[in-house]
Amino acid sequence: MKVEFIEPFVRAARDVFQMMMDLDVRRGELRACEQLIPSKDASVAIAVTGDLLGSILFSFPKQMTLDMVAIMAGMPVDELDGFVISALGEVANIISGNALAYLHSANYSCNICPPQIVLGQDTHLEMVTRKVLIVPFKTRIGEFDIMITLKEARQQVEAAL
Amino acid sequence: MMWKEKYEIGVETVDNQHKELFHRVFDFLAAVQRKGDWSEKIPKVKETLAFMQEYVIVHFRDEEDYQLQINFPEYEEHKEVHAKFRGMINQYAVRFAEEGFTQALVQEFSGKLMTWLIVHVADMDQRIGAFVREQGGQAQ
Repeated sequence: MKVEFIEPFVRAARDVFQMMMDLDVRRGELRACEQLIPSKDASVAIAVTGDLLGSILFSFPKQMTLDMVAIMAGMPVDELDGFVISALGEVANIISGNALAYLHSANYSCNICPPQIVLGQDTHLEMVTRKVLIVPFKTRIGEFDIMITLKEARQQVEAAL
Repeated sequence: MMWKEKYEIGVETVDNQHKELFHRVFDFLAAVQRKGDWSEKIPKVKETLAFMQEYVIVHFRDEEDYQLQINFPEYEEHKEVHAKFRGMINQYAVRFAEEGFTQALVQEFSGKLMTWLIVHVADMDQRIGAFVREQGGQAQ
């Protein structure tokens, strides 16, 4: 997987957290993993189709998720209910949408599927690459990860020929 | 939802409508998230849905009129986003009619409504104010 696929998601995460929550996001060191498994309590999986195929998994600690939604709502939020889950899915959706716009500028035309919420850390998700790249982020309300497994669709077509 | 000064774009009509939307959505979220009997919250949900269906038409029309007036280059893009949002509200109205005002469906709707409003005001519409400032004028 090309590391250049990572930067659009980093940039989009930074912009969206600032725009929606006035939160600064600092990127940590990139690492690779053999499996696509949620690293934290509440996660959002978004499938990518088009010139790139694969998935993006956003993984957040429970308290950070509650704090994010509390900041946006301007009121205390104390459980991972349908409202919190819906808002979290939308934040991941908006980050992914913006990242895809940046990828479009680099001549990759892609679409995203509706966000799927994954609670807990027991779910194994399908990978399209041998390794998943994990980008950790730090904010003043907690740390989260964006896990990325993406490959070019034309590679798959060429392999099939 | 807290209104922030940074959201103001300098166009009084649009800023006032945005403030009203924030105020209404905050009230709606507070009602939906308050502990207590779900059936008691349904009138507020119905009221908010009816308000959104009517008010966004007025708001989007005013915003689009202003964009045309200043030759805003992203007019078509904004119009498309407005149409998508109206579509989302109408889809939920259909689902509420078919499935009922269940807590799960209302919570899903409220998460989408809140995030949409923030993005609409804090990102998309900021470009209107930025455009006017770039042109050397004052938004009005």
